Amino acid sequence: MNYGNIFKYWRTVLVVAEMSIRTQFSDGFVLFAIVFQPMIIAILALFMLREKGSDYAVFVVVGSGLTGLWSSLLFVSGNSINVERWTGTLESLVGMPTPFDVIVFGKNLANVFQSLLSMIVSYALAAYLFGYPLSLTQPILFFLTLLLSMFAFICFGLTIAPLFVMYRSVQQWQNAMEFPVYIMCGFLFPIALLPNWTTPLSYLLPPYWAALALHGTSTAMMPFDQLLFSWSMMILFSIVDLIIASQLFKIMLYKARVDATLDVD
Amino acid sequence: MNAIEISNLNRVYRAQIGVFNRSIKEVVAVDDISFDVQAGELFGLLGPNGAGKTTTVKMLTTLLIPSQGSARVAGFDVVKQANEVRRRIGFIFGGERGLYWRLSGDDNLRYFASLYGVDPAVSKKRIPYLMELVGLQGRGNERVGGYSRGMKQRLHVARTLLHDPDILFLDEPTIGLDPVGAREFRNVILNLQSQKKTILLTTHYMFEADALSDRIAIINKGRVIALDTPSGLKGHVSDLSVVELETFGTPESVLEKLRSLPFVDALSVEDREQKQMLLVQTKRGAEAVPDVMAALDGQRIGRVIVREPTLEDAYVRLVGGQA
Repeated sequence: MNYGNIFKYWRTVLVVAEMSIRTQFSDGFVLFAIVFQPMIIAILALFMLREKGSDYAVFVVVGSGLTGLWSSLLFVSGNSINVERWTGTLESLVGMPTPFDVIVFGKNLANVFQSLLSMIVSYALAAYLFGYPLSLTQPILFFLTLLLSMFAFICFGLTIAPLFVMYRSVQQWQNAMEFPVYIMCGFLFPIALLPNWTTPLSYLLPPYWAALALHGTSTAMMPFDQLLFSWSMMILFSIVDLIIASQLFKIMLYKARVDATLDVD
Repeated sequence: MNAIEISNLNRVYRAQIGVFNRSIKEVVAVDDISFDVQAGELFGLLGPNGAGKTTTVKMLTTLLIPSQGSARVAGFDVVKQANEVRRRIGFIFGGERGLYWRLSGDDNLRYFASLYGVDPAVSKKRIPYLMELVGLQGRGNERVGGYSRGMKQRLHVARTLLHDPDILFLDEPTIGLDPVGAREFRNVILNLQSQKKTILLTTHYMFEADALSDRIAIINKGRVIALDTPSGLKGHVSDLSVVELETFGTPESVLEKLRSLPFVDALSVEDREQKQMLLVQTKRGAEAVPDVMAALDGQRIGRVIVREPTLEDAYVRLVGGQA
């Protein structure tokens, strides 16, 4: 797809996002992925780090919110393609004049938006259950970073969606894809704790730069030049992800039409 | 002008079988078919299960890539110009699937209108009009999950008309509908036909194809075995009469004996709960009845009727009694 399409189809993207939210809010699994799972992770982490002080509480709130964001993208977006296949709507979507990646972009937007709930839930837990005074060190920059991070997560999610279109069985690999991203992107602890050889891999993942900038603007006074660098890397890797996703969608949709995997028959 | 042009179209499905000794099994679903559909024509595609009807429709609606051959819809190649084709067609695959059950009827239409690129101001007027056209006025706010099967099928029709396409593909749209629902649905199709839409309709139901179609192609084992008007197809059996016999649990050996009689052109069997309906096609008309009864010696026989052949009888003869 020409990604000018995202702007050409902005209205469609919003309708897709609206309908995805309406559909998913009546699904118990979605509520688990975006509310209860981050809550469990936040409680565990807050207990483990309770002697470290309120800065760590903010770190945990942001980190568990990020885990919710990633889980939601991986499971909800991925599953939604399989659900579309089982309910017979995947063929209808692929047979539309709107490019399929525009539709997935709208779905991812809905999931990322819903995932902000994860962060709010974690924030409420830390503040009211554990009594931490929670304040952001650079609130305006934090919210700007949050917007950029949402875009970076959407683009990262787009690179995975084509696999779900092509392979019915990719669902089996979802669990294996969940924790490596938590760990490699430094959602809950700094990647400095990992072996050195993993660091370049982390640098290639846009959620790493999102986590770095979000943690930096929420718990530490991140120098502006470092923040700018994180933003630049997020934008750069988001563009790279969009290009990769565009090619993958083209290949996978063609292959799905050759191998007849758009339907379950 | 032709709305649909199919030339030597072929589709092979490949499936991997075995775990350790893997091999590829090939199934030819569509085997070298060619036909054209004129603009404004209602073209019926008839055939038994697995004949290749749905595969043909899926290739024409750009959802499957042909293995060989070519097809053009509205003048555009279905592979190379798929997006141009998608703008100009609507399609329905029979059954209840293909809708968002957790959304209301109106929301389903608003969603698909957006995906078809219909301007929101246009869709705001068009959605109530289409809901009325398909008899769902006043039900648009209800969740689709609560709709009956017939209502879902009619919502499919509304969905496919959102962008006012010139060409419609209706793949077994009345499957599973009760007789009243199916009749209402056929009225919707007739309404579309009066609007000069080109319609490619696949169905199992012979009377439906007979009543609606301008021309019919009969497809069996992936090949077009006959293509004509309904009356032209009936001409294939104009020299025959049909003896209908109601029997109860006739064994296969007796059916084979009946099939082998020299005056029997074709025999088909319809199971109706405990009963069987034997349809014997013969040139001898009523004169054949005593010999048929003799061949069924010892079997319990109910009603016996001799009648003129229908499109279904032509179909049975053409596909060799496999239906």
